[in-house]
Amino acid sequence: MPRLAMIAVLLCAPCAVLRAQTPAYTPPHLPPPHGFRVFIVPDMEGMGSAVDIHEVIAGNEGEQYKTLTSPDYWDHFRSLLTREVNATIAGARLAGARSFVVNEGHGGNLFANILPWELDTGAILVRGFPKPLIMVTGIDSTVGTLMFTGAHAGPGHPGILAHNFAFDTFTVNGKSLNEVGINALIASEYGVAVSLVSGDDAEIAETREILGAGFIGIVTKYAVGRMAAITFSPTLIRRMLRDSAGVAVRRAMRGDFTPFHLEKPYHVAFALRRSYPATVVAGVDSLSWSGLEKTAERSYRLTTDDARQMGYLLDAIERVVLH
Amino acid sequence: MNARGLGCAALGVLPALLGAQQPMQAQPPQPPRDTTPPAAYYGVTEYQQARTKLAALMQRNGFTVYIVADMEGLAGVVRNATEMRPEARGGHDPTHEAFRKELADEVNAAIAGARAAGATQFVVNEGHGGTLFRNIHPEDLDPDAILIRGYPKPNVMETGLNPQVDAMFIIGAHANARTPGIISHSYAFDSFTVNGHVLNEAGIAAFIGGAMGVPMALAAGDNVLTAETREMLGDLETVTTKIAESRSAAAVFPPRVVQRQIRVAAARAVRGVRLGRIKPLRLERPYHVAFCTRPTFQAWVPEATGNLEGVARMAGDSTGRCFTYQTDSAEAVGNLLNEIEWIVLKP
Repeated sequence: MPRLAMIAVLLCAPCAVLRAQTPAYTPPHLPPPHGFRVFIVPDMEGMGSAVDIHEVIAGNEGEQYKTLTSPDYWDHFRSLLTREVNATIAGARLAGARSFVVNEGHGGNLFANILPWELDTGAILVRGFPKPLIMVTGIDSTVGTLMFTGAHAGPGHPGILAHNFAFDTFTVNGKSLNEVGINALIASEYGVAVSLVSGDDAEIAETREILGAGFIGIVTKYAVGRMAAITFSPTLIRRMLRDSAGVAVRRAMRGDFTPFHLEKPYHVAFALRRSYPATVVAGVDSLSWSGLEKTAERSYRLTTDDARQMGYLLDAIERVVLH
Repeated sequence: MNARGLGCAALGVLPALLGAQQPMQAQPPQPPRDTTPPAAYYGVTEYQQARTKLAALMQRNGFTVYIVADMEGLAGVVRNATEMRPEARGGHDPTHEAFRKELADEVNAAIAGARAAGATQFVVNEGHGGTLFRNIHPEDLDPDAILIRGYPKPNVMETGLNPQVDAMFIIGAHANARTPGIISHSYAFDSFTVNGHVLNEAGIAAFIGGAMGVPMALAAGDNVLTAETREMLGDLETVTTKIAESRSAAAVFPPRVVQRQIRVAAARAVRGVRLGRIKPLRLERPYHVAFCTRPTFQAWVPEATGNLEGVARMAGDSTGRCFTYQTDSAEAVGNLLNEIEWIVLKP
């Protein structure tokens, strides 16, 4: 069914941008923080008010995205996104945070959705693509706390624009992980914990199952379909983000949040989306990735001691998916 | 027959010509057509579950107003093909953006008026399909309001409606199909009755709300809409935003004046409900629903409609597009409307 395939592909905005080969270049660390550093990963599907693919896609991500944008809508939501991030920063700053890294987590317009000239001037913005470890590019052990805003639920859940990278299923040690879960595991390699997640009700419930109830969850909207939701005023969402970010920073400074923990070694197992053509499967088959095993038609597994290796494999797979 | 009656008769044949302007316009026929229900693609939440989600967000005390926000009946609107849809969906008129703002302004006026009369909570449900139920810019809306946006959603114009709601309003409403109102239509129907009562879209919303004890207290739209809705529902507040001269021409009142009238009428509506003057529409159970799909639709629309669960062909109907449906649940009627809407609107 081409329609199903199209919908599945279009929901994976990050995939579109993974065509170019990541250069063999190791970037230097970001400037060290003067004070408590907050690392914010803003995505768009779970932000306040957004419900439809046209609101989060620029149309320039690839051939199949051209008709899925509505510039008047997307432009509008870029501005709302920037203001959500600003509210998060403002709350964190009031609570004593002094350094802010914002890493674009949404693939629309090739990971360049936030309007730099409207962003809080205290923030370092990581934008564009390709970038290593996509959603947590630039994270290291100087980060005090990690926040995900606008996050979305994984596939199979009735959340707004629910998807998970290129996969129908993704588990580590038998535990199903969504995008927040995967990135939380990578961050745990640096001893960094997740303190705040905002997203729709499906995303927050799902993430609580994965990370436990420790983090501060903000429900931005209640899904009544994959493209329809009960939403709130952007003003209210920004107030919730500001207030919660402050609480999150104060609690993070006290060491209230623990990094996501799973037993090592990590047994990673995943299935590529059913909607992908056979060429994608062949492409993943041909990855000469040490330790990657094929277990079924579209299923693979990998055992590793370092979640970053899992992250780099994800990067490689996504490059295959849309190359 | 007076001139209006003649106009009415003449306009009866017009839908065929105006079909291209209908918001729920049929796609060109490309059989075999895929009739997979929306849940299979988009995982639309079951309507009772959606109702539970909204009910959980509502205040226990206080007075809640549920506002259905349509667009055809807004001040100034006359033409569907241009003004009522964005460029991405075939519109070619920058005033569409202005009308989105007008929609927010009229809804905000209703909220302000209701608040002045003591209402404490506001739920706004996008009711216009031109941009797939995403017309109000969220930041333009009164920050106190909960906004239901996007498509597909359960029970389109009544998503999440529940007995905790105290009053319903409909803003930007349009007159029933086969009437001389501006962009007159009713979902995908040529006619729609429950127990023999003719209902327009405002009437259907009132019927579904009425079954759970929620009255339709305010309707704003053109003169045809306000007159027919008063006839259907009895006592309710109405605001006439324009006088229809044809289905796409009207003597329009200034938007600022209309907004002021809506504010005043909304306050009266809340008081009317509190005093028991404005009552819910109660019809006898079981509900005998009878409807015909538009004659302009391709054959697959009535065909797919006839295949829906519980829908029967109307006895003695020679057109092949008239059906009956019987149920004890008004919400189930809303769900049926949603399924028919999906057959027609599916992108």
